[in-house]
Amino acid sequence: MTRRGWGAAAALVAVIGAAGWIAAAQQAPDEESLTFLGEPVTIAQLELGQEVYAASCASCHGETLKGQPDWRRRNENGRMPAPPHDASGHTWHHADRQLFTITKLGVSAIVPGYESDMPAFEGILSDHEIAAVLAFIKSTWPERERGFQARITAKEGGGS
Amino acid sequence: MKDYNMTTTRKFSTRLSRRVFLGAMGASVGFSGLPFNLRAAPKSPGRAIAFDSDALILADSTLSRNDGDWSPLPVPTPGDILSLATHPGRPGRILAGLTSGGVALSEDGGYGWEAKSKGLPDAPATAVTVAAAEPDTFYAAILGDGLWKSDDAGQSWALAMDRPWLAKAERDLTALASVDLATGMGGIWIYAGTELGLTRVPDCFCRWQDVQPGDAMDALVSGEPTPMEAPLPGGETIKALVSAPSLPTRLFAALPSGIWDSQDAGVRWSQKLNTRALGVAVHPNNADFVVAITGDGLIESRNGGMNWTALARV
Repeated sequence: MTRRGWGAAAALVAVIGAAGWIAAAQQAPDEESLTFLGEPVTIAQLELGQEVYAASCASCHGETLKGQPDWRRRNENGRMPAPPHDASGHTWHHADRQLFTITKLGVSAIVPGYESDMPAFEGILSDHEIAAVLAFIKSTWPERERGFQARITAKEGGGS
Repeated sequence: MKDYNMTTTRKFSTRLSRRVFLGAMGASVGFSGLPFNLRAAPKSPGRAIAFDSDALILADSTLSRNDGDWSPLPVPTPGDILSLATHPGRPGRILAGLTSGGVALSEDGGYGWEAKSKGLPDAPATAVTVAAAEPDTFYAAILGDGLWKSDDAGQSWALAMDRPWLAKAERDLTALASVDLATGMGGIWIYAGTELGLTRVPDCFCRWQDVQPGDAMDALVSGEPTPMEAPLPGGETIKALVSAPSLPTRLFAALPSGIWDSQDAGVRWSQKLNTRALGVAVHPNNADFVVAITGDGLIESRNGGMNWTALARV
């Protein structure tokens, strides 16, 4: 190979390496395990999800995802308080598609006739924003809960 | 020997008169093939019953065990037994809900008891069950409070779920059964009876819900509840509820209207006995072997409730 040829090859390797680094930087640090509806979750998605969570979810589910106090006890109106979204709650027992449906269409879409204080976010949040906020919630779970939820999601055919 | 057949469906009842019923009960006393000794049977109809392997445990103001003959057992202090639960994987283990509050546990078939109420509210345990897939996981329904769970065989308890909200009010749980069928959310179901009928909750405790065909995921975006073809009669208190360990889709319920069974995990029910029922138990290895407490005494069926013969009340 000529001197000019070696230089071109080195430049190509550098470009490919830089592109790979940029692509990796745009995905979540553990994108190997974190997906939503079968798609890898990116850092940009997590940042959007965190913003959406703070604006639309945190007032009920808590800034640190811990839910409302005494959330296992029913309110006076018969409805349940907002549950935690961290490992102490049951969100991680639900498949991706189910979480998306609950958020977009309301709990009654999953349990017919169920009355909840949580609104359906259809028309308030876009599908992209709903996916982002759920990806953000998933990113906060410990490995055990994330693995459990991934298996539930895989079983339902919605990707993990 | 003359068996009496009281099988009915909700639509086509073939009720027998009380006279015929009592006559049949009397006739059955002479039957020599019964597995349990009738002469020594407790006189009170009882309020809770369970199988411990092949043995029967019967509770009312006293406690009795039958391994072929009835024998008295010590009643766990501090109160009478209101509910019983066993697990086929732990022979000899009996969990008892107490009228005076809390629960007691026996690990030797009911001969010795230990209070296991640490952390539980001081109120009657109206129903208890042992998780079908986890023999060290217990559930207790506490009157006026909710459903409590222990993951360590009663050493400690934590609130799992408030009571179900039915007809604009919280309703106490009158019966509990761990049903070893997948919820679609990684766990199994807990079915419960109330004064208004049947409800269930996944063991992740997200919410009480009506019994529907399939698992929780099958209801996805269905819009409206699926109309039930043959539900349990409305407005009746479910006094006891069991799922056959050998066939979890097979449920039996004791109601004021009688014994009812379901072969599809509670979607469709048919009446198997039309006299007042207070308790019901199903053999751990034979889903057709059922024993029930009725207002007239103990009865058993070896064919899933098609025919019944008297066991007790002499």
